[in-house]
Amino acid sequence: MRSGDRLVLDAVRRSGPWPLVLAFTGIAGAAAELALPYLIGRTIDGQDRTTWLTAAVGAVAVIMICECLTVWTRGVSGAAAAARMRGALMRRVLGVGPGMTRRFGQGDLVTRAGLNAEELGGAPDAAVSVITLLVPTVGGLVALTLIDPRLTLTLAAGLVAIMFVLRAFMRASGEIAAAYQETQGEIATRLVDALAGARTIAAARTEEREVRRVLTPLPTLRTHGLALWRATAGAGVRAGIMVPVLEVAVLAVGGYLLATRQITVGDLYAAARYAVLGAALSGALGFVARLARARSAADRVAEVLDEREPETGAATLPAGDGTVEFRAVSAGGLEIGDLVLPGGSVTAVVGRSGAGKSSLAALAGRLTDPDHGTVSLDGVDLRELSPSALRQAVAYAFERPVLLGESVEEAIEFGRASAGAAEGAARAARADGFLSRLPQGFLTPLERAPMSGGERQRVGLARAFAQGGRFLVLDDATSGLDTLTEQQVGEALTGELGGRTRLVVTHRAATAARADRVIWLEGGRVRGHAPHASLWKDPGYRAVFEHAGVPS
Amino acid sequence: MKAGRVVWTALRARPKALARIAAWSVVEVAPAFLIGLAIARAIDDGFAAGRVDVGLAWLAALGTAWLLAAFAARQVILAVAAVAEPFRDDLLTLAVRGALCEGPQDAPASAVARINLQVELARDAFAAVVTVVRGFAFTAAGAVLGLVALHPALAVLVLPPFVLGAVLFTISLPVLYHRQRAYLEADERTAQTLVSVTGGLRDVTACGAEERVQAMVGRRIAAQARSAGRLAGMTALRTAALGVGAWAPVVLILVGGPWVAGGTLGAGVIVGALAYVTQSLAPALGGLVEGVGVSGVRLFASLDRILHTTSPSSEHPASLEGPAALEGPAGEARPAADDSVALAFTGVSFSYGEHADPVVQDLDLEVRDGEHLAIVGPSGAGKSTLAALAAGLLRPGAGTVTVAGVPAHLADPATRVLIPQEAYAFRGSLHENLAYLSDAPPERILAAAREVGADELIERLGGLDADLDPGGLSAGERQLIALVRAHLAEAGLVILDEATCHLDPAAEARAEQAFVRRGGTLIVVAHRLTSARRAARVLLLDGSRASMGTHEELVAAAPLYADLVGHWESTREEAQLS
Repeated sequence: MRSGDRLVLDAVRRSGPWPLVLAFTGIAGAAAELALPYLIGRTIDGQDRTTWLTAAVGAVAVIMICECLTVWTRGVSGAAAAARMRGALMRRVLGVGPGMTRRFGQGDLVTRAGLNAEELGGAPDAAVSVITLLVPTVGGLVALTLIDPRLTLTLAAGLVAIMFVLRAFMRASGEIAAAYQETQGEIATRLVDALAGARTIAAARTEEREVRRVLTPLPTLRTHGLALWRATAGAGVRAGIMVPVLEVAVLAVGGYLLATRQITVGDLYAAARYAVLGAALSGALGFVARLARARSAADRVAEVLDEREPETGAATLPAGDGTVEFRAVSAGGLEIGDLVLPGGSVTAVVGRSGAGKSSLAALAGRLTDPDHGTVSLDGVDLRELSPSALRQAVAYAFERPVLLGESVEEAIEFGRASAGAAEGAARAARADGFLSRLPQGFLTPLERAPMSGGERQRVGLARAFAQGGRFLVLDDATSGLDTLTEQQVGEALTGELGGRTRLVVTHRAATAARADRVIWLEGGRVRGHAPHASLWKDPGYRAVFEHAGVPS
Repeated sequence: MKAGRVVWTALRARPKALARIAAWSVVEVAPAFLIGLAIARAIDDGFAAGRVDVGLAWLAALGTAWLLAAFAARQVILAVAAVAEPFRDDLLTLAVRGALCEGPQDAPASAVARINLQVELARDAFAAVVTVVRGFAFTAAGAVLGLVALHPALAVLVLPPFVLGAVLFTISLPVLYHRQRAYLEADERTAQTLVSVTGGLRDVTACGAEERVQAMVGRRIAAQARSAGRLAGMTALRTAALGVGAWAPVVLILVGGPWVAGGTLGAGVIVGALAYVTQSLAPALGGLVEGVGVSGVRLFASLDRILHTTSPSSEHPASLEGPAALEGPAGEARPAADDSVALAFTGVSFSYGEHADPVVQDLDLEVRDGEHLAIVGPSGAGKSTLAALAAGLLRPGAGTVTVAGVPAHLADPATRVLIPQEAYAFRGSLHENLAYLSDAPPERILAAAREVGADELIERLGGLDADLDPGGLSAGERQLIALVRAHLAEAGLVILDEATCHLDPAAEARAEQAFVRRGGTLIVVAHRLTSARRAARVLLLDGSRASMGTHEELVAAAPLYADLVGHWESTREEAQLS
């Protein structure tokens, strides 16, 4: 069985009594809907009127009650199932960690956790809906045939025409819609351009000119938009006219049968209603497509759930100075071999882009696992450490940190078990200045605290400092700071935050010069591991820094 | 309600389209009026009486009415489009203008770009609401007229429950609106959470914050499921209202029909009356419930969001100035007191919020005409804030900033030019980009480009008439374009706010010297200390303190400055090790 199908069955099983309720109300409602034209027809014909009338009124009551119950059950159980699925999916995403975004794109993951989980939650409903729609439509056709097969033939001819028209519409509107979206995209691009130049525009007071420039494609947009409306209008009308035309045709044939005393007035009424019900067949087929969609959504959710979480141990760290050791390490095209970062030392990692600097940084604190070899901290393999012991010992700061949390303070204390270190950490990262100038200081909500790249970096640094521990990995995390601020941050680390082992990915010669040793990476291999001054003699090493300043 | 006014204005502005909608609607509802009547006559006078020709004639009339209605329906859709398309254009213009003129300058571009989607949702919802509300009104009127024509007593049976259903729905509308709205918001919050968590997985893992994030995500997901449940309850009630309006008349016709008019009504009349209910009134009510209950809510939710994004909110510093705040033409501002002072700060303080620490405090500064001043200081010392105050983009909380004697925010924009770090280049010809602040002829543009050092770039891009793709330029190349643009401007005061930070030192020096030769007053927010050395005077910012002097004076008197210089010297020496 496909794992997606297993997931659908699982969703149904875990939904408790709801799918049963849904199936019952759906089928009962559909049966009543199917019976009603016949009951009304008999009531109109007038024999045993009271009996038929009572039955018809009963059928109406069943339809109304079932409709309300179905709508309510569908909403409640669908939402609960989707929430369950979404929760499980996000638990797995968080458990696997950054490896997940290497496997699936970010947008793709969001779609799977959002839309696909929703569709999967609606799977029981879709299955029941197919039945509840098929009962009246197929039943309507059967009933019509029982009244007179010639009526069904009349209807069948028309139905084929409906499908044909709908198919033709899909093709035509697709192209127009693409042109429309392209023009929309152009406006969006122009707007984003202009927003990037907001300060220039505000200073030159050229806002009105920019509005006109951004909206230049508007007439084109309207042309495409109106074409789209025309296509919709044409096809909608063609499809919309089918049911009335079918009904009139069935009435005409039925009228002839009535005039020749082959059927009664009640039969004619019922026939007209069954024709309308039967004509809804195309809509029912749309629901079959929905079921297929739920199935493929389940497959997509299952793919995420099938990802394996990295295994973790339960070991705690012994006392130590934070010595980091790489033993025969290789991972995805990166050959590191053996390396030791002595406790309390500062090691810079340099190399051209693509040399593997960030991969090395990710291995050092177990953001990824090596394919071969081991990385250990104070003698303990990182894979044997418990997750909490690992994260209390190793902290990361990034070039482009993603800040999470409600407020600035929460964002800084994000990696800590307890609160209350934000201000000190921010001071060490030289972020206290601009943070205290925010409208509500450290309590300013993140979305109300617009930050430049350099400011964001410093908050990311503060977050790493607050996390504490004995090993700090700075992955190009000071690139947006001027060199003086960078040096001040470095001094704070050596002084007040004292003696943590540091691994610093950098593009700057000055930063490498201040490190105890430099790891020079080239093409996924360690080309050198020595102090900056001795590596500097190598022109190849100097060339690494040469592109930093020129227009790039 | 602001959103309501926008819709009302959009409708009122296009009376001709509305008249067209109304006229075609009359044709479109012809079947709604005719259906019961035609079926009743076709049966009673035709088929049941054995007169097939009469029956077929009535059905032919009905069929013809349907065909005409189909054509009319197409015309109605096009007439609605004639209102909806301009509505979209208006909204987009409003949104773009809001984003560029009044919006928070630091709003993430992606958030603003989502306006596009909101505008699209609003347009579709607007069209749907106009269509169904109109459809309901005309169809109901047509069907009621038909019922009365069939037999007035039938209208008495049908109308009360139908109206009751419509009223029940109307009563439930406000609650429905709020729940639908709450659901949309919860849905969006969940989506945002998913986006930020999946985008920050590396950071979550690095911080060991999986459990904390899982709890947060769980709360959002649960809240969304709760609001979906609440909405489902309301939707069930809405379905009940629809049931009352659509099904109760059927029951009443069946029960009461034989007694109407003393039992003289033919079976065809009953069938006809049922047709009015099931094929005209019920679908119209269903359309209204669906259209108003879903599209209406979506329309107002989207409109609120667009209007919210595009109007300045009170949470932003009141001092962020757009052109809308210009008080009177610049010419009326008071004339300069002293012609030789290009820029003056007098007792200026500025902070970004009431509870925020000041960025600039009690600053006095006078820059004379033709002077060359550099501003230096560590990251976050307020250099860019000072530049923005001088350019009139920000207004001081206390004190005054004047450009040639005129308050900076009132000064004619042509008198000063600010080039920020993030250089602006846009899709268009290179010529349009370079002549953005002037109407210089090509030869002057090329001369300025040679001065600044952008001639090679222009050549490489294919000359002034070449089309520019900003995405294909490096940050340094974009800065060169902005520098040429500023060099060409007529402004007497030029402020370069780290405008050369992506150029190499030699290119930076060439560009700055070009501005010195250009004449006028030059203020450079320095990215490298070499910029300060080239300036006649240097303003050193450190937190909210400021000191002023020549390079030599500051080296001697300001430890921070000496630190900055010393630091820079050491990195240069190191670079010269080779």
